[in-house]
Amino acid sequence: MRTLTADEVEAGAELPELSVELTPTVVVSAALATMDLTPVHHDTERARAQGSKDIFLNILTTMGLVQRYVTDWAGPEAVIKGIDVRLGVPAYAGDRLTFTGTVVSREGGRVTVEVRGKVSLGSHAGGTVTLTLPPAG
Amino acid sequence: MTEAELRELAGKQAALGEVRGAPGPDPVNAPMIRHWLAAMGDTNPAYLDKGLAPPAMAQVWTMQAPRQGRSPVDDPMAALDGAGYTGVVATNCEQTYHRYARVGERLTPATRFTDLAGPKQTALGVGYFATWNVTWYGDGDEPVAEMLFRVLKFRPRQGAGEERPPYPLQPAVNQDTAFFWEGAKSGELRIQTCADCGRLRHPPGPLCTRCRSSHLTYTVASGHGTLYSYVVHHHPPVPGRETPFVVGVVELPEGVRVVGNVVGCPPGEVEIGMALRVAYRPMDDRLVLPMWIPEEP
Amino acid sequence: MNQKERVLSRTSAAIAGIGATEFSKRSGRSELRLAAEAVLSALDDAGLSPGDVDGLVTFTQDANQEIAVARETGIGELTYFSRVDYGGGAACGTVAHAAMAVATGMARTVVCYRAFNERSGRRFGQPNARTGGDPTSQGLEMSWHVPFGLMTPAAWVAMFAQRYLHVHGASSEDFGRVAVAMRRHAATNPAAWFHQRPITLEEHQASRWIVEPLHLLDCCQESDGAVALVVTGAEHARDLRRSPAYITAAAQGAGADQMMMTSYYRDDMTGLPEMSVVARQLWEQSGLTPRDITTAILYDHFTPFVLTQLEELGFCGRGEAPEFVKDGGIGLDGRLPVNPHGGQLGEAYIHGMNGIAEAVRQIRGTAANQLAGVTNVLVTAGTGVPTSGLILSAAVSR
Repeated sequence: MRTLTADEVEAGAELPELSVELTPTVVVSAALATMDLTPVHHDTERARAQGSKDIFLNILTTMGLVQRYVTDWAGPEAVIKGIDVRLGVPAYAGDRLTFTGTVVSREGGRVTVEVRGKVSLGSHAGGTVTLTLPPAG
Repeated sequence: MTEAELRELAGKQAALGEVRGAPGPDPVNAPMIRHWLAAMGDTNPAYLDKGLAPPAMAQVWTMQAPRQGRSPVDDPMAALDGAGYTGVVATNCEQTYHRYARVGERLTPATRFTDLAGPKQTALGVGYFATWNVTWYGDGDEPVAEMLFRVLKFRPRQGAGEERPPYPLQPAVNQDTAFFWEGAKSGELRIQTCADCGRLRHPPGPLCTRCRSSHLTYTVASGHGTLYSYVVHHHPPVPGRETPFVVGVVELPEGVRVVGNVVGCPPGEVEIGMALRVAYRPMDDRLVLPMWIPEEP
Repeated sequence: MNQKERVLSRTSAAIAGIGATEFSKRSGRSELRLAAEAVLSALDDAGLSPGDVDGLVTFTQDANQEIAVARETGIGELTYFSRVDYGGGAACGTVAHAAMAVATGMARTVVCYRAFNERSGRRFGQPNARTGGDPTSQGLEMSWHVPFGLMTPAAWVAMFAQRYLHVHGASSEDFGRVAVAMRRHAATNPAAWFHQRPITLEEHQASRWIVEPLHLLDCCQESDGAVALVVTGAEHARDLRRSPAYITAAAQGAGADQMMMTSYYRDDMTGLPEMSVVARQLWEQSGLTPRDITTAILYDHFTPFVLTQLEELGFCGRGEAPEFVKDGGIGLDGRLPVNPHGGQLGEAYIHGMNGIAEAVRQIRGTAANQLAGVTNVLVTAGTGVPTSGLILSAAVSR
């Protein structure tokens, strides 16, 4: 795995798309890995009883996936400084979460990426990720 | 609670400043990091190689921390529930990472209630935006990560939905029954009552079943009830409904029975004799159905 | 047989002929054709010709007009035609109406019929969003239930069944034993859809939920087919091809505060007051008691109401039906063999009319699972709705 260097990144560059199939296994195992035991993230019956279509991703997982999306592209030496996300529609089990991203600015080694995470119902999460990249050389 | 009282409470909570919670039950550790990376499908080797936690894990370390007193967020949330803003949806999560947490250190959260804005008209209904900040401190008591979290607490709409498809199971309504359905729209469970002899009756009809008077009015029921019988519908599929769903016959202290869905608890926990209270569910732009949820113990 | 001593009003009419199509899941024929085939078959059984018929009775729900059936079969003029309402509650009521027409002289020979493609055409078990529909009295009644998704016959019955289980401490297995008995009977009836296909209680318990507390095997099948019955005067019937099944008693009944399938607002939900109204009249008209009944044909669209009927008709006390059934009471060799043909759970769902035909066969001695010494057979119609009942006898009663 190689890390992008600052000079390789310019505003307007597109990140490769990442599409995650939200199987019940993904939703449940991520909820547990983030220590979130709220029933709507692992118990279909309870989720439906509360008016949801099915179990759905918890916010901690959404944040984790956004982080992963950016570091998959930037590489292991990138340092994430912040993630600001506006939350939209739920990401239900059985759906597919597709991330797209665009570099909006770079100042020295500091890069801001706009990330959009969409599911079949619309925007699940959208916002910006700030990171630093090592200099060229 | 009035708007002014809500604002006052929010101000009081904000004035508390940062309130420390209990430290995470476990220090930052490799097994939980490995488990998290696997669940996210994240193959970045940097974390385990360097003994650092992925930054987005900040909150994970304190998710299962024991509750220690009240958080400054608890009271405003309860007050909003009490004022009818029972719906909740998270709208913003903004995290800033000062550094990556290190394996072996223990994180301690501190919460500050920062803002209550509203009431505002939103797509989901009228509501308040509540904002709080959490800072996670590391072993050296310096901040490792910060989060701004915002939720919309909203009053679920009754009737006027946003582009909702028409609910397929509409009741037939005439002049003998319209008062009941109008009542449901305004959050009242109306039981037909004879204006002459006081007899209550449900389902309603054009004449009093005791004195045959046609001078009929209604009583607004207390909204409490006891489950008399119920079914769990599995098959075949029913238009406008997700299966399984529960329908019950509810006995009211007012002396009549009413049929409605039992919601807010898994079908397996429904039992005859359970205490219920009414809740109103908008099905589309026109129809509100009175349903029943378990009474809090 | 001392015919002179009989009370004329009690046994002035008899069933002289029965006819049916095959029972299937896809008849491949129009409902009118099924009706005509069954009517012609019943007339042939009686040894009558279409020209002998002057009355027709069917269910309000039947899609075949009396005049259409008359046209197809060659029945000429009609002096009596009538329909009976409330779904399967009409079954024995059609015979009651026919017997009244014969007794009053409005008609001499009346054919009762029911024909449908209930499996391949419109299925009653499927939700119909129009059930609430218009603000007729029935539409308004349904509107207290349909908007909540309570809109299938299984669901309506399950609401009573849950209360029955709770009050009497019964279990799903008590319902299951009814299904097992019906399928055992059907297994040796070649006309039954479930011929040679018995089930075990374990299979009943393992079958999927339809509407808790009802499993799939608590629910009767859905069928295509038709049944017709020829009703004529007792004297006339004696001169015909078959030995008559005398109509010793015939009754309809609706309870106080009755609704269609959803009488949840009466004091008690564990009984069937409308069946009690029918039972009272059957015993009064016939002078018989439950002990005088050789076999009962009980309407079995869903197993729980078989238990309730045993109680309402006086074959056992309140809450005792589970024990009655557990002891083998409704088997072919039990205290009261119920539905020797396998009922609607086992033979076919022809809205109760195939049960009346079975009662006639038991009286004639020609049933697949023929019981010995059949004197009186009690038949009931649809439960949970305004209903009806019959006592048919091998001899005129005194």
